[in-house]
Amino acid sequence: MRKIFTEARLALIGILILIWTLIPIYHLFVMSITPRVETFAGALWPSRPTLENYETVVEQGHYYLEHFWRQLWNSAFVAVMVCVITLAIAATATFAISRLKVRGGRLVSNMALATYLIPPAFLAIPMYKVMGIYGLLNTQWSLILTMVTFASPYAIWVLKQYADKLPYELDEAARIDGASPLQIFRLIYLPLMAPSLVAIGTYALLLAWNEYLYAFLLLSADKDITLAVALGHFLTTDDAPFNVLMATGAVYALPPAAVYYAFRRYMVSGLTAGAVKS
Amino acid sequence: MASVSVEAVRKRYGALEVIHGIDIAIPDGEFVVLVGPSGCGKSTLLRMIAGLEEISGGTVRIGQRVVNQVPSKDRDIAMVFQNYALYPHMTVRENMGFSLRLRKAETEVIAERVQRAAQILSLTELLDRHPKQLSGGQRQRVAMGRAIVRNPQVFLFDEPLSNLDAKLRVQMRTEIKALHQQLKTTSIYVTHDQIEAMTMADRIVVMHDGIVEQIGTPLELYDTPANLFVAGFIGSPAINLIRGILRRDGGRCWVATEAGVDLPLNGDAAGQDGQAVVYGFRPEHLTPVENSGLLSRIEVVEPTGANTFVYAELSGAQICGVFSERRSFAAGETLHLMPQLDRVHLFDAASGRRLAA
Amino acid sequence: MAPGRLSQEATWGLIFLVPYIVLFLGLVIYPVSYGLILGANPKSYVRLWTDPVFLRTIVNTVVFLGVAVNIKLFLALLLSGFFVHERRWIRWLSVVFILPWAIPSIPTILSFRWMLNAEWGMLNSLIFRLTLEDGPNWLLDRWSGLGMICVVHIWKYLPFWTLILLAGRLAIPKDLYESADVDGASGLQKFRYVTFPSLRNLYITCTLLSTIMSLGDFNSIYLLTGGGPADSTQTLATLGIRYAFGMSEIEVGVSTVVVALPVMLPLLVLMLRRMKKGEQP
Repeated sequence: MRKIFTEARLALIGILILIWTLIPIYHLFVMSITPRVETFAGALWPSRPTLENYETVVEQGHYYLEHFWRQLWNSAFVAVMVCVITLAIAATATFAISRLKVRGGRLVSNMALATYLIPPAFLAIPMYKVMGIYGLLNTQWSLILTMVTFASPYAIWVLKQYADKLPYELDEAARIDGASPLQIFRLIYLPLMAPSLVAIGTYALLLAWNEYLYAFLLLSADKDITLAVALGHFLTTDDAPFNVLMATGAVYALPPAAVYYAFRRYMVSGLTAGAVKS
Repeated sequence: MASVSVEAVRKRYGALEVIHGIDIAIPDGEFVVLVGPSGCGKSTLLRMIAGLEEISGGTVRIGQRVVNQVPSKDRDIAMVFQNYALYPHMTVRENMGFSLRLRKAETEVIAERVQRAAQILSLTELLDRHPKQLSGGQRQRVAMGRAIVRNPQVFLFDEPLSNLDAKLRVQMRTEIKALHQQLKTTSIYVTHDQIEAMTMADRIVVMHDGIVEQIGTPLELYDTPANLFVAGFIGSPAINLIRGILRRDGGRCWVATEAGVDLPLNGDAAGQDGQAVVYGFRPEHLTPVENSGLLSRIEVVEPTGANTFVYAELSGAQICGVFSERRSFAAGETLHLMPQLDRVHLFDAASGRRLAA
Repeated sequence: MAPGRLSQEATWGLIFLVPYIVLFLGLVIYPVSYGLILGANPKSYVRLWTDPVFLRTIVNTVVFLGVAVNIKLFLALLLSGFFVHERRWIRWLSVVFILPWAIPSIPTILSFRWMLNAEWGMLNSLIFRLTLEDGPNWLLDRWSGLGMICVVHIWKYLPFWTLILLAGRLAIPKDLYESADVDGASGLQKFRYVTFPSLRNLYITCTLLSTIMSLGDFNSIYLLTGGGPADSTQTLATLGIRYAFGMSEIEVGVSTVVVALPVMLPLLVLMLRRMKKGEQP
């Protein structure tokens, strides 16, 4: 009897959580399959579900979507570059700090940790100015480098936690076996860190793909902007085609969801272990 | 193969000196065990020989070459670590061949040498497994295999058996020794376990607080410990030590304890009348006698089958005796015990040094 | 280290560290210093002080942080207690539950925005159909706008913190609960005497960290209300951008952020200490 009560209670909470989580996503989906004529009906389910909005997106059939494919590619390019560069920087830095025990390594890792605690939005204005000085404004490299800047502190911190846990004797054994630091990095460190590298890579990828503020500040030409910025453009008018916007949004949200689920196994343990410890 | 010599070696961490000038000469082919309690500096010394720690002072030579400045990989040594340090992402085969691969050896050469090492250590069946699929003893063997494949000048072992259970430890002890007899590679072996030291070593180096207390063959250390530390460290159960004052009267010689017991000595014992000394005798050098001898009261009796351990109170100290003949001892009973006088050790109480005859 | 090895390893160590150091100097130190210089003009602060929007924004920020962070973490604590149950369907649910965090803000927040539209949003249509009354102007009023901002923020970040606290719960040794069972503790007592003491530290760390991060939440405000109506729902993160890019007052924009430093820096130091302590368990 008690057991049934417990299960019923769990089920009730579970349903509430499911509804809470899915409401805006459901709304997004419903609107994306609602025909344009029903846009303002506010119905829970369209009387005539349609894929016309998706067709519009794919065919770039709207003024706002002229460069849809180009912008999707931009998002992907930025995300992949951020992922690769963050991994490269964080893996080498943590190897130097944690395994080679380079002098000043502690200082660097502390500085990285401090950077992790700066809210990115607070750096937006100076970052914008600095990118202007570097002459990178309105190029995708400004966005890529900015996102690497914000992804790598966390990456370094998480990777360092894992790197510190690898037995140091492995490096010593490799050194006696005749490995140079570069060989230890390549043949011992990287393979052993692979799971956390996957987690961090996914993290950086999602962070960059999902970024709105910096993409919107640093990029302006229609052909350079990412999909996030393009979606933001819909906001500038009152008579925006919201159903098309929602369809675009759904397309935009799909890849990160897929990537997340593909690497979920690594993400959960990888990120929670490093995110907060007490 | 090569000799190893350690000359006046010191290790400092900042202002803290942990090794205070150590000299050890190890001839080619010898199996030397560095033994001592934890924190005595034995592992640090081994790691300096391996090139994993900087040498703060003195010289380490492998063969004729001074290696102070030589990186580990060029010292032509192999090391077996306490936690084995097998590369988890490589198979046994890859683990064993790693050093040759780094040295850009031919694939066939690697395969052949790994195969041979695997045969020596009966690892042939396990070559394609990963370390986590192996038992503790098998991992230990792979770690040794990795060392053998290299065919190095010197093997270094850093407490290689301390992660194994007691039974396996005894077995691996024998295997390592047999391996050394087969390969005859100069070996330096670090352990905190004096039994391991006694059973495996050609020569033992007893270390304590960053200095060498004594170097010698196992039996030398056992029979003529140079000081109280070595006497107490080597031998199990531990040597019995009782404080007292050395007395001489004519040809007679004894140690008077505070509790008023006179401990017998041979007439030719060293030391001066009135000197504060420590009187030592090993548990197995104690004989029960009828009525002369030292009166002691039995506190605990532990029969092991082969021997019987008797813990008794003598002159306010607890002593231990090991007797191999079957006879009934009972707690509470009093016993007359006589140390074998020619095997009694006398140490100066102040310096701890052995008083030589 | 023997000099031969030392030089080789130190050299490689430096080479490996250089990319991050360059990035750090060029894109953290430089912009931060640049920002501090931009924010050093006293006139900007006079301007801020005399702008009623700014004072309102301070209140908004405090309310947003106080409400959103605390509700979010409290819910996360409760939900972690739900997800700790071992059921196959709960594992599946957790997979769905994480969605808000994994997918980008912009489509979901715009979806919220539309859903909450007073005239033709799904929510008010539903209210009208059920009650025949018009629903409230969700986003066109300062306090209900802020309330919705909190809802959106919580929706987006609840999964992440639940996951963290769940990890904390899973790290509590099972035998503590078993011995509590043996001692006859009730469910509530187990929470009071086992779960809560074990999670307290983590919970405080999470609160601090989440406060710092939420201070920088731009999307939940900008994409939902745009700071409106009439700049009544701005927070420091969005107001700075508004000054700098909406009104071309770069220095004032930076000063808006600098104003938060006296609160942020102690939090940051506190947080750094806590995180570093946890680093070597």
